[in-house]
Amino acid sequence: MILGRVVGEVWATRKHATLEGRKLLIIAPYVWYAPSAEVGQLVAVDTVSAGVGDDVVVCMGDPARRQLGAANIAVEAAVCAVVDRTELAPENERGKRPLTFLGGLPHSAEDGSTKHPARRP
Amino acid sequence: MVLGVVRGAVWGARQASGLEGEKLIEVEVPGGGTKVAIDRLGAGPGDRVILAHGSRVRDLTIGESIPEKDIVIAIVDGTSLDVAQ
Repeated sequence: MILGRVVGEVWATRKHATLEGRKLLIIAPYVWYAPSAEVGQLVAVDTVSAGVGDDVVVCMGDPARRQLGAANIAVEAAVCAVVDRTELAPENERGKRPLTFLGGLPHSAEDGSTKHPARRP
Repeated sequence: MVLGVVRGAVWGARQASGLEGEKLIEVEVPGGGTKVAIDRLGAGPGDRVILAHGSRVRDLTIGESIPEKDIVIAIVDGTSLDVAQ
């Protein structure tokens, strides 16, 4: 799973048939537990009508295809949730393995307090 | 899946048998570096493409017998970021 922010949308007419009619979003990851590659951005199929500026959860691999309702869709990443609010544990309670915040704090958790609902841009 | 830019074609006389007849292209991917991918959608140099990775995607797009897991699944017409630049 990846926590990230939708930064853009992709339009493509020439694509694999199973992608027909699906929205493709560009995601900038905030937190990606041990990313396999140094990737600043990834592309995911939208399933929850997320928009640019939303914080989202992206699931990878089979869960992504299941989320789209079929196992035979030629994708490996799908936006599975739009995040309303993120609560971050205080620095010293975040476990031993250092979390790499790739893109700064999610704006749904800008000051880490629980009082503020997610701010829409 | 990542958004990359096609640098150009890749070919070699001696290659794995499964690659016969497949079009291989070199794609610059975010974070630097390039990946070689199989393209059946007709992407040319300079085109932006979306690469998907994994045996499942490969099975669905080009079949299990082909020893390549990076596949072009879309050729990008445009993105909302283009307007911003």
